[in-house]
Amino acid sequence: MTSRTIAAPNGEDVVIVAGVRTPIGKAEGALAGLDAVELGRQVLRQLLAITAASPDAVIIGNVIQPAEATNIARVIALRAGVDRAVPAHTVHRNCASGMQAVTDGAMLIATGRAAVVAVGGVESMTHAPLLLNDSVRRALAYWRRARGKLHPALFRAWAHLLRSPGFFKPRSALREGLTDSTVGMNMGQTAELLASDFGITRAAQDQFALQSHLRAHAAREAGLLDGEMMPLFVPPDFNLFDRDEGIRPQQSMAALAKLRPVFDRRLGTVTAGNSSQISDGAAMLMLTRRDKAEAEGWPLLGRLIDWRYAGCDPARMGLGPVFSSHRLLSDHGLTMADVARVEINEAFTTQVLACQEALASKAFHQRHGLGEPVGAPDDAQLNVWGGAVAIGHPVGMTGARLILSLCHQLKVQPGLGLATLCIGGGQGGAVLLEAG
Amino acid sequence: MMTVQLLRDDGWARLRFDRSDKPVNLLDGATMASLSMLLDQLEADPPAVLVVESGNPNCFIAGADVAAIAAVTDADTAAALAQQGQSICHRLQQLSSISIAVVSGSCMGGGLELALACDRILTVERASTKLALPEVKIGIHPGFGGCVRLPGRVGWPRAVRMIASGASCDAKRAMRISLADLCCRSGQEQAAISCLTHQGKRLSTATTPWWFALWPARRLFFHLANRKLRQRFPHLDLEASYPALPALLGLLQEIYGMSEGLALAREAESLGKLAYSDSSKHLIRAFFLGNGLKKHTAPAAAGDSHCAVYGAGVMGHGIAWVASRSGSVDLHEVAAEPLAHALSALANFDRTGGSRLAKIRPTLCDDGLHRAGVVIEAVLESLEVKQALWQRIEHLVAEDALLLSNTSALAISDQQQGLAHPERLAGLHFFNPAPKMPLVEVIAGKHTSPETIERVKQLAVRWGKFPVVVADSPGFLVNRCLMPLMAAAFRLLEAGQTAAHIDGALKCYGMPMGALELADTVGLDICHHVGKQLSDAFGARMAIPDWFAGMVGDGLLGKKGTLGFYNWGGKQPVVNPAVCAYWAATPAVDHEFDANLADGSKAMAADQVVLACLLPMLIEALRCLEEKVVADADQLDAAMIYGIGYPAFRGGLLHDFAHHHRLDDLRQQMRVFGLDGSDLLVGLAAC
Repeated sequence: MTSRTIAAPNGEDVVIVAGVRTPIGKAEGALAGLDAVELGRQVLRQLLAITAASPDAVIIGNVIQPAEATNIARVIALRAGVDRAVPAHTVHRNCASGMQAVTDGAMLIATGRAAVVAVGGVESMTHAPLLLNDSVRRALAYWRRARGKLHPALFRAWAHLLRSPGFFKPRSALREGLTDSTVGMNMGQTAELLASDFGITRAAQDQFALQSHLRAHAAREAGLLDGEMMPLFVPPDFNLFDRDEGIRPQQSMAALAKLRPVFDRRLGTVTAGNSSQISDGAAMLMLTRRDKAEAEGWPLLGRLIDWRYAGCDPARMGLGPVFSSHRLLSDHGLTMADVARVEINEAFTTQVLACQEALASKAFHQRHGLGEPVGAPDDAQLNVWGGAVAIGHPVGMTGARLILSLCHQLKVQPGLGLATLCIGGGQGGAVLLEAG
Repeated sequence: MMTVQLLRDDGWARLRFDRSDKPVNLLDGATMASLSMLLDQLEADPPAVLVVESGNPNCFIAGADVAAIAAVTDADTAAALAQQGQSICHRLQQLSSISIAVVSGSCMGGGLELALACDRILTVERASTKLALPEVKIGIHPGFGGCVRLPGRVGWPRAVRMIASGASCDAKRAMRISLADLCCRSGQEQAAISCLTHQGKRLSTATTPWWFALWPARRLFFHLANRKLRQRFPHLDLEASYPALPALLGLLQEIYGMSEGLALAREAESLGKLAYSDSSKHLIRAFFLGNGLKKHTAPAAAGDSHCAVYGAGVMGHGIAWVASRSGSVDLHEVAAEPLAHALSALANFDRTGGSRLAKIRPTLCDDGLHRAGVVIEAVLESLEVKQALWQRIEHLVAEDALLLSNTSALAISDQQQGLAHPERLAGLHFFNPAPKMPLVEVIAGKHTSPETIERVKQLAVRWGKFPVVVADSPGFLVNRCLMPLMAAAFRLLEAGQTAAHIDGALKCYGMPMGALELADTVGLDICHHVGKQLSDAFGARMAIPDWFAGMVGDGLLGKKGTLGFYNWGGKQPVVNPAVCAYWAATPAVDHEFDANLADGSKAMAADQVVLACLLPMLIEALRCLEEKVVADADQLDAAMIYGIGYPAFRGGLLHDFAHHHRLDDLRQQMRVFGLDGSDLLVGLAAC
């Protein structure tokens, strides 16, 4: 392991002075009573309560942006009691939205454009809307033109509807959001592609999924997750919710083996059990300059060193972490062995396993013109406190959660931390940090 | 003194109310006189457009002069007063000019009636813009033609509801219910006036639903309104206690379809009868007493908009709700379960669709204190617990944060011990249920600074409460006066009176709750605790009988445990027959009272029950006055009305007894009930 002081590439040293997240609920589960705005508001207000720092800007990542809260970051900031003079904006990079918010905030600070920034991610996949077919919109437009009178437009409205069978069938924003329109593949199908590319068996995937549950359960029982979690009282019953809902301590290979593949019913290997869960949750961090935090006496949770985003084949979007991590580590002259803890988001276990393989593979690097491999993280480094398979993957939140979790992990295991995830549409994001 | 002036500018005239000697515009004698004079001028030379406005953006006209109504001594004077107002409104209405009332700020009672006489009403959006006919709250009904003209604007059913409830509406709502013709933002008045000018004189518009014209439907409507009214006061004789309410409904029913002149005459006549009734005088007194408490001098402190409340019990979450009125609140509690209960209860209060509840953040630790300007505790009633809390959080809060204790019996001075800044700790005692009861007791400890007290009063007023400053003595004021009432009720129980009879008698007298129902609501364990502390301090007159401890010991806790003197399990509380066993064992001759009390074979007369309960409270109140627990008799009366709901139509405890009972009779009664302290009764003479 190299010395721990790696200079930030330029500008100010960015540190995390506070962070908090909700326990993650399954879709239509414990957090169903809170929409994305409410989730975000509660977490941001909690963040303001646990730190004396007041933000100059708010940046929040969110994927399924609610129609009633355009620029959800601003709505959340105002509802949480952030001064109205403080600007807020929402960022979207699919599964990396929460990470994008963190790196954007860090960029504001590094370049001296803000001193304290509240950043984070929020997602309520429960409340993903159902959409009307586009032909209904068209018909309604004709209807309006008729203005309630017997007008030719009225007949055109009806004719239009009758010509589009199934116009009444709602479209699921969630399902369509998880489909890459450029290659016409569902995220699960891209995972299936990786499984066949890398020859990853169903058993290997299930094994990894089981390990995720067991590790998450062990971390929770050891109280390791308490530091990042806030209790929630969820309407309508306001019962206490303070534990991630998706972790199954009793998960077993036998139970996992029973599940049928979802995306390729006959030949597939990707099941609900070895994929991330659809969930609700929010996480927020407070970022500032190191000298400011030290002057104010705010405790340091972690330091953001650097980050990279990279693009790749959209049909194999699961390999995104390979490209982004490779760029990030090799730019700093580091290898995976220099990193104490690695979080690769478990969108699909097959995708994490494929990343592990690709990161170590010289042939893969040659094929993609990447130079020397930085190496793959071993089991003792990777997702030690469990991952999205067990905990859940509220898409907009996850990036922020990985960074928050790493901060706490690095308190236990000092050194460098790497948080990386794959991004629908063929991208990868990676953030390098260390304990404060 | 300037009250109203007429500004003319070719074809235009402005009738501007701008009171130079008072903060609000009132339709008092002087204003009416000059208004009448100005109307002479206007009638002689009517302008094309007449704008009726106020020089004060936060007050159009706050109403008629309440003091003048209170001073009325006979029905004819009162009716004449109404006729004077009616004639001015009538003359305004008859002017050939297009008259436009520009309502910005509060427009109450007579003010709204004047505006209704104009052709058009324009409301200006402001937080202070409120339109209402609140006369029923002071025991009368509108008398300047409001009963006649409001139905013509908003339709009969809505007008009846508006006048009978005295509820106000804001600028936007006024336009929605077509009370106002237009609503504009401040600064747009001129454009709005010219817009309204183009609409010309008012033509009658039908806003009353068609069914109201049918006699049976109308009859049914008034019948239901009457029944609803009586359900609000199930135990009271409305004709004696709040005569304005039935009289109003009767009047409205009568004047439907009547010609305007006749209707106005009936209105004036009916008002005349009400204005000199005792009920009205007393309600006006209660109104003035409440206003007196709301006076304060301190400006709002910046940090006061964020408040931390400790303890999420019934009081704690009630206080959190009150505090959320003017800022964000952190609700601290040690365990999750009471917090979940509290949030459920708060969600039931919330009629805003969650936006007010969203201001309350539940938390299980001491986080967020650095942002709090005010910390209120409603934790366990134990000095050790409270002291430990203050010492723990004193250094977590800002230097200038207020520390307030919602204790019902623990001395504030004791809580100040060991604090680095005791001067910022004071008592702020709410009454249950905190969101509903308007009174709060403000208590200064030995080290509390005067600035702190002023700030607390200011805070309480901002939360819509009436603060009364009381001395740091056991039970403060209200609980100390309540305890003898409860003790008296317990003695009556022992003497063989039933719980239903005692409570019924008190409720028929006008108390919102009977003594035993109140004990159940407060919680019998808390009653016992407070009673013990007070009897330690003041002796036997506060003593709670031994059997009471037995009830608490057996887990009868009152409403919160569903069983107490009543069974609260069902929809309506019913007397819990099992509790009789507790005092049946006590020999009734334990008290060497008069046979009248000890004879349980027959029920006492209701007025005797009331006197037996209220006299001990009266004596304690007089004692408090003598010991300077409260500044004066008026504040004491206000505390009784707004803290325990002493019937407002009786004008307050001391006022009631001083004016409606003879001292000798009271002395005689006290002898009958075996009460001491009759020498204190002379204090009543000064009230």
